[in-house]
Amino acid sequence: MDLLSQLRGQIADFSAFLYREGFVDDQFTQLQRLQDESSPGFVVEVVSLFFEDCEKLVNNMAKALEQQIVDFKQVDSHVHQLKGSSSSIGAARIQNVCIAFKTHCEGQNRDGCVRCLQQVNHECIQLKNNLQALFKLEQQIVAAGGSIPAMQ
Amino acid sequence: MQMMQGNIWISLNPLGFAQGMTLVLWFQIRPSYGRAIFAPGTSSEQPNSNSQFRGLSVILADDDHVNRTVTKKLLEKLGCEVTAVSSGFECLSALSSAENSFMLVVLDLQMPEMDGFEVATRIRKFRSCNWPLIIAVTASAEDNVWERCLQMGMNGVIRKPVLLQAMEDELRRVLQRAGEGL
Repeated sequence: MDLLSQLRGQIADFSAFLYREGFVDDQFTQLQRLQDESSPGFVVEVVSLFFEDCEKLVNNMAKALEQQIVDFKQVDSHVHQLKGSSSSIGAARIQNVCIAFKTHCEGQNRDGCVRCLQQVNHECIQLKNNLQALFKLEQQIVAAGGSIPAMQ
Repeated sequence: MQMMQGNIWISLNPLGFAQGMTLVLWFQIRPSYGRAIFAPGTSSEQPNSNSQFRGLSVILADDDHVNRTVTKKLLEKLGCEVTAVSSGFECLSALSSAENSFMLVVLDLQMPEMDGFEVATRIRKFRSCNWPLIIAVTASAEDNVWERCLQMGMNGVIRKPVLLQAMEDELRRVLQRAGEGL
């Protein structure tokens, strides 16, 4: 089997894994479909933006939850934002944690919030690593003379 | 105007006096033979008819950077010319600026400071006609969101996360109704 076929097989398996495990959903597929010749780096660009935002939001939420008196409204608005942006790139797991997170904010449950924040952080790191691996595979395919297949 | 298949009509009230200029833009919905960009080996069942909305100038207002980037790209994929802003204030000032003539506003309802409802209300206030068209984008799953939007003078609603097909369908629907209802 030549290199290109090997790589294609790898990326197909890896993508299937990402979808199966709920790391990404259909919205991520759509993101990839939006990428074209005029904007070959679109997905990477959006994903990077997302992780930048993610980091900021997580830091802000951590600070807010450390306060003597927690401003749950503030935390909730951060969660809301993260939920929105994670849903628009198809980061399904993160989105789901945000849903649970919101209920803790509404219930003014500090411990619940802290747990969710840790989960969010964990999911962000995992997704970041996974997508970096995916992009690397894509780069290798392009370098080997192929083009990036649309993920299903 | 003619290049865009448009016409300018002067609407007459029953007594024959010119009621005012009504700008009528008819968008011919052509069969989609648009340049679909296929990477070899991909199965692309989506219509990708980016010739359909070519020339449609849109203001996109969303405070979230990621959402703004994705939705902008989506609209551009459909052929629109998009100006993206991050707040209701920026949206209103872009609209009131004389050089700009936007046909459509795509408006996130849940923005801080000034939400989409307020933006829409203000747009309809200083423009007495039903132009630009307004499509609201909302994460809310409540049934009465659509009604509220209609009451505020909006023309369409899309649920988040925004899908290409959903945006295309809603754009087409809104434009068709705008063309008919005059």
